[in-house]
Amino acid sequence: MTRCVVCAVAMVVGLCGDAAAVSAQSRFGVTPMAQAIFTVDHSDPIPGGGSLTEANLVQPVLMAVGHGFGNKLGFTAALDFEGLTIKNGELAPGDWGEGFVDRRHPHTYFHEMIVSVNDVLGRLDGSGRLSFALGKGFVPFGSDDPMSRPFLRFPVNHHLSQILERAVGIVQYDVGRVTLEGSIFDGDEPTGPSDWPLLRTDQHTWRFGDSWSGRATVRPVTGLELQGSLAHVRSPESRPGGGPDADKLSVSARWNDSQPSGERYAMVEYARTSELRGVFVYHTFLAEGMLSRRQWQVSYRFERTERPEEVRLVDPFRTQRPSPDNSILGISRWSLHTLHVAYDAVPLRRKVEIQPFVEVTLGRVAEVGAGIFDPVSLYGTDQVRALSVGMLVGWGMRGHRMGRYGTLAGTMDAMDGMRM
Amino acid sequence: MRIHHVALAAAMLAGAACSSPTTMTSGTTGPYAIAVFNGSGQTASASATLVTPLTVVVTGASGVPASEIQVTWTVVSGGGTVLPATSTTDASGHASTVFTLGATVGAQSVRAVVVTNGTDTATFAATATTVAPIGPRLITSVPTPTGATYDHDTFVRDGLAFACMWNVGVRIYDVGNGMKGGSPATPVLVSQIITSANGLSSPSVHNAWWFHNPVTGQNKYLFVGQEGPGSVGSSSSGDIHIVDVSDLTNPVEVGFIHIAGAGTHNFWMDEANQTLYAAYYNAGVVKIDVSGTLSGDMSSRIVMQVHPGGAGNTYVWGVMLYNGTLYATDMKSGFWALDPNTLATKGGGNNVPERYGSDQWVSGQVAYSGTWGTRSVRGNAVKVWALDANGVPTLADSIIIPNITTVSDVAVTPDGKALVVTTEGGAGNGLYVYNRANPLKPTLAGSYLVSVGLHTGEVAVINGHTYVFAARDPGQQQMDIFDITGVVP
Repeated sequence: MTRCVVCAVAMVVGLCGDAAAVSAQSRFGVTPMAQAIFTVDHSDPIPGGGSLTEANLVQPVLMAVGHGFGNKLGFTAALDFEGLTIKNGELAPGDWGEGFVDRRHPHTYFHEMIVSVNDVLGRLDGSGRLSFALGKGFVPFGSDDPMSRPFLRFPVNHHLSQILERAVGIVQYDVGRVTLEGSIFDGDEPTGPSDWPLLRTDQHTWRFGDSWSGRATVRPVTGLELQGSLAHVRSPESRPGGGPDADKLSVSARWNDSQPSGERYAMVEYARTSELRGVFVYHTFLAEGMLSRRQWQVSYRFERTERPEEVRLVDPFRTQRPSPDNSILGISRWSLHTLHVAYDAVPLRRKVEIQPFVEVTLGRVAEVGAGIFDPVSLYGTDQVRALSVGMLVGWGMRGHRMGRYGTLAGTMDAMDGMRM
Repeated sequence: MRIHHVALAAAMLAGAACSSPTTMTSGTTGPYAIAVFNGSGQTASASATLVTPLTVVVTGASGVPASEIQVTWTVVSGGGTVLPATSTTDASGHASTVFTLGATVGAQSVRAVVVTNGTDTATFAATATTVAPIGPRLITSVPTPTGATYDHDTFVRDGLAFACMWNVGVRIYDVGNGMKGGSPATPVLVSQIITSANGLSSPSVHNAWWFHNPVTGQNKYLFVGQEGPGSVGSSSSGDIHIVDVSDLTNPVEVGFIHIAGAGTHNFWMDEANQTLYAAYYNAGVVKIDVSGTLSGDMSSRIVMQVHPGGAGNTYVWGVMLYNGTLYATDMKSGFWALDPNTLATKGGGNNVPERYGSDQWVSGQVAYSGTWGTRSVRGNAVKVWALDANGVPTLADSIIIPNITTVSDVAVTPDGKALVVTTEGGAGNGLYVYNRANPLKPTLAGSYLVSVGLHTGEVAVINGHTYVFAARDPGQQQMDIFDITGVVP
């Protein structure tokens, strides 16, 4: 595994090196990107009661986005080293998924590796653009990945609002202000940073293609983007298959405006995931915004998200994956307010980013409906407080919206002031 | 030994040279030659059962293997036992017995004689060593088939293992029955049935009980528990499915039992009275008449139902009928003793407030109950209960197992010597075997750690060995078969 990571790093660094030799106007181009966030996180409470403070290096990412043959060919590659830096996850009250709870799980080393063929019909379909993408990465579903939004901590709804790290085949059609996307992918989510998507369980049974998604994106006016998505995910938590399926829905509205004086951004989303034919349904509502003036950036997020409560292991931040039963302890609802203030230490318009920040989260957790889950029994309180102080160091990541491929890959927002 | 083998090989070659294989039968009068075929020269701890059965080969005058010839087995030295003491040769001329060594350290021997002529003998040598502490031995693992989510539980009877493998149904293995030549070390699949989902998203096959009806003499029905989704402590789902296993190679689902708003968990049977007791989570303890023919919707056969902990305080994990008392473990309200006729409370209940309850077992005047998940403290305890003359439990002690959160299964071996426990939730996951020399104070005799955990462990005695059929948790889903013979001498 280590050798693979090293080779991949070398490949990306090699691409970065090549980038210096190519012109943006050439038939081929590569845009290298990188970032890492050093942070000290404090969470109160944690499972079992009390509080915990720890230092982390999160989101250490090397990326490259490239094109060739006049944008007919595109690729996106991203290496994520969280498997090395946060093996036990990032302290984040409310976050869950892939066997982690109240900690965000580390992403896989090979986070994205997508190749796209764009506008394959050329002028045959008039102004329309038919594109295809294939590889490992984000499924066209839901809103932008939290890593390319203005907060440190991922929202609780990450696993309700995004589907990522799958082997995915995408067909995409752009016409005017509308983009339609459809995909097939493997339903199994990763069980560890080294995992690859399980393409098939044996020579007769494919996992690739057992799940699907569709997303429609409309841009009625400049800066405003509306999307609606549906997905059916087959047995996400049981890698061999046979586990509960998930039916997902997401709608969101995203707006951004870039002026010489600063940036403005807002996003509102609703998503729901239904499991076991509607026996368990989890809802989320999230609204967030960002305002930047000169080198200061202030962001606020509110979310109300439901998550399953499952039996915890001796390590109270972990649950068994996959679970040996279909039952849960109950459903919790997290209502969280997050304020993020950042300062760009390097003037905007530079490739380099050095951005110290402070992020505060306050809120409450409550049980929803029946079951034996009781937040006060688990945490000692139903009040949630979290504080993070840190610094983002980046190169070329401003404005990049993760998980957009094909013709959408080039739609870098004019949000240069925003840590996107 | 070598001469016998050479002679046997020569006989086989001679047979092969003929136009077709020939086997003599008991209709032929003999005389017969008998020779050691396999199992001589083994070494094991004193009082242990030899792993390899002792086998002779009997041939007729022409050197052809003789079938249906009775062979008697006698312990010559060492004081051990053989089981059976008389066996009959098969088509290959082979007859076998299982030798349990005596307590004497040193050389021991067994002699085999053909009953009809009694002149020729075969003698087996064995060596008994001093007894060394041994732990559970994993003798084989049966993988779940492709696409299976996991193995959940196993019911073992008459040398057949009914492996409950969730989304791929019940898989029946010969582990010593003889119908397919399987053994615990080499299980052979007999058949498989995927029971219906009954409106849920999956068959979710959780547990089973093969009903031997002493009234009809039939072994016709297999009861299969389906564990659907639920919120622990308040809701559950899943039916009892009735499978006709008259033809074990072709099981057929014939009926079901459904309770609206609730799902079944573990079973116990009063077979003499043709009664099935089912733990039914939020529906409590359910008593079901399973006499006669079972077909279609048998929900009307529910005779009685009780919520031991009362409304809102009942979520029953398991039941066990023992010595005239029906015991029930409730995840919320603890360990109960009920009257099996009326389901009225005899005693117990609301007696494990700090932990959620899990599985149970009763043996003699002592009961054991497991604990689950995390309530105010982790489910890392086996509760030890002293039973009074009426079977009413009083907490006597707790066994604390480090680095786990759930005691997933408990059972006592048929000889009453060992308490067997499986665990989940941490670095202490695995199989634990305790010595019940003092049943109220079991002491750890051996363990086998399994990183992902064991969800259940079913104890069965096959050919003199004691085995645990364990369901390994998802991630490494498979049926593990452990030999725990001798772990508790």
